[in-house]
Amino acid sequence: MTTLGDYLLVSGILFSIGFAGVMLRRNLIVILMSLELMLNAANLSLVAFSRFRVDPNGLPNYNAQVFVFFVITVAAAEVAVGLALLVALFRARQTTDVKDISSLKF
Amino acid sequence: MKETPHRAWLQDLRDSLQMIMITAPELEIAVLVLGMVILMVEAFATKIDKRILAFAAIAGLAVVLVASFFVAPSPSPAQATGFWNFYTADRFSIFFKQFALLTTIVVLIMMTDYAPVVRSSFPGATPQAGLGEFFALPIFTCVGLMYLVSAIDFVFIFVSLELVTISFYVLVSFTRRNPITLEAGIKYLVLSALSTAFLVYGIAWIFGATGQTNLHRLTQALANPAMNHSAALLGMVLVLVALGFKIAAVPFQIWVPDVYQGAPTPVTAYLSVGSKAAGFVVLLRVLQPFLLLPETKRLIILIALLTLIYGNLAALPQANLKRLLAYSSIAHAGYLLIGVVCFDVRAVTFYLVAYLLMTLLSFAVLIIVAQQAGEEISDFDGLARRSPFLAFAMLIGMVSLAGVPFTAGFLGKFYIFYAAVLQRQIMLVVVGVITVGCGFYYYLKVVRAMYWQSAEKSDKIPVNGLSRFAISALIISTIWLGIYPQPILDALKR
Repeated sequence: MTTLGDYLLVSGILFSIGFAGVMLRRNLIVILMSLELMLNAANLSLVAFSRFRVDPNGLPNYNAQVFVFFVITVAAAEVAVGLALLVALFRARQTTDVKDISSLKF
Repeated sequence: MKETPHRAWLQDLRDSLQMIMITAPELEIAVLVLGMVILMVEAFATKIDKRILAFAAIAGLAVVLVASFFVAPSPSPAQATGFWNFYTADRFSIFFKQFALLTTIVVLIMMTDYAPVVRSSFPGATPQAGLGEFFALPIFTCVGLMYLVSAIDFVFIFVSLELVTISFYVLVSFTRRNPITLEAGIKYLVLSALSTAFLVYGIAWIFGATGQTNLHRLTQALANPAMNHSAALLGMVLVLVALGFKIAAVPFQIWVPDVYQGAPTPVTAYLSVGSKAAGFVVLLRVLQPFLLLPETKRLIILIALLTLIYGNLAALPQANLKRLLAYSSIAHAGYLLIGVVCFDVRAVTFYLVAYLLMTLLSFAVLIIVAQQAGEEISDFDGLARRSPFLAFAMLIGMVSLAGVPFTAGFLGKFYIFYAAVLQRQIMLVVVGVITVGCGFYYYLKVVRAMYWQSAEKSDKIPVNGLSRFAISALIISTIWLGIYPQPILDALKR
């Protein structure tokens, strides 16, 4: 029987992988993918919490599951803008590497 | 309180307008419709001068701003007034709706000044390509800000925060042919999306601990001593990371200098005022349930200290005025966080209003001067002779940001420190006062350049009528609030 803890563990691992990807990888496409992974890890937690929090009628608390739909929609909008920026960057510099965009410095 | 005849007259007008009955959610819908109409006009009427769109937007927002004074606020902040239980229309949120509208109006005026720069960044296209969207996007951001200050449910906070953020992604990288702007846009996108991920994960943990997303019911759930607080605390810290990013608190400030310097200047002004103010409103609302837990307060004191010290020290060596204002924006987040620690809503509100006036004033002057000279502080050399009006406006902006008496900035700092002294947060007051001293050095550096250095060029800098009006209004209100702060203090109490 899968418990709430198992789901939270998987979600925590996914979130950490995503965070490490954003921090360590240098390719912007991979960074965008890692950001999506982090959001989906959070979604997994939300759904798991919702499923295991059963009210007296035996129904799960659906608030969090509805919230997940909002998160998915917003994430799609975010990626749309992100990819558009990426295309603009590639046209201007022929690169998607974050090392090459460091002209602004302290 | 004694009713003056003036108040009585206003009350009569209010009563008669009750017949028409404007409710708070209608304000946002009106602004949303305005934004869509402007996008439609821009799409189908290709022949018109695009500046007309900006003037229409300013007029439309001004009408909504006037209408917002006739909205009857709901008596209790806990009482939801619309969108099921997501939305409240208490006095606090209506005040900040007006704040958002005012900011957007001033930013749109700045954008009309900035239009030549946008136009030059779209080479080869039709002469006015891109301007329509440039004027329409701030309106959608404004809708997001207005919803955000009313949001009392995490779902709604998330959605309206993202409405603000995603329209800012586009605005920040708007002049994308400029490599610096593009770089700023990408940095903002990646770090902002990262903070969003932390926000959602934090909300998930808070929901997991309490089973609630509504802030009011969350308070009740957290007050239950039988509950396990550690999961809720983890969620609160994650949410705090996301909000720290919005308000530019250390250690989540790394994006601020680069994005502020690279973004189109009116957008920088909008980011530093609109986005920060909304961040603080959400922070005050979100923290309220968690103040029962002592760990929360200690954490925020630490963040406030770091922000004060880092923001003020890093601003010292800056030579680029836009970057200097970015570090100053971090420093001001530190002072505001002192107010948040003491949970003095009136002090934070007054500080935000003062911050709006003086920051928008500085940016308005910067936009005009930057097109003639540049953004470096050395480009302001001898401005007093080239344009006494702009130099005086910048002088008022800088002394108010530094906190010289008889300006709004001084009273803002005074109320914050007073609240901290009352709560015996001596550490915060001491560090705060020392960093104010630091602030004097780098703000007065700009004043020195304008009044004591000689200019290379001596030609006059022209200022158009609308900007002259906006800048004059900002100067007058900065000084007026520094001498007579009562209207703002009353606005939340009445």
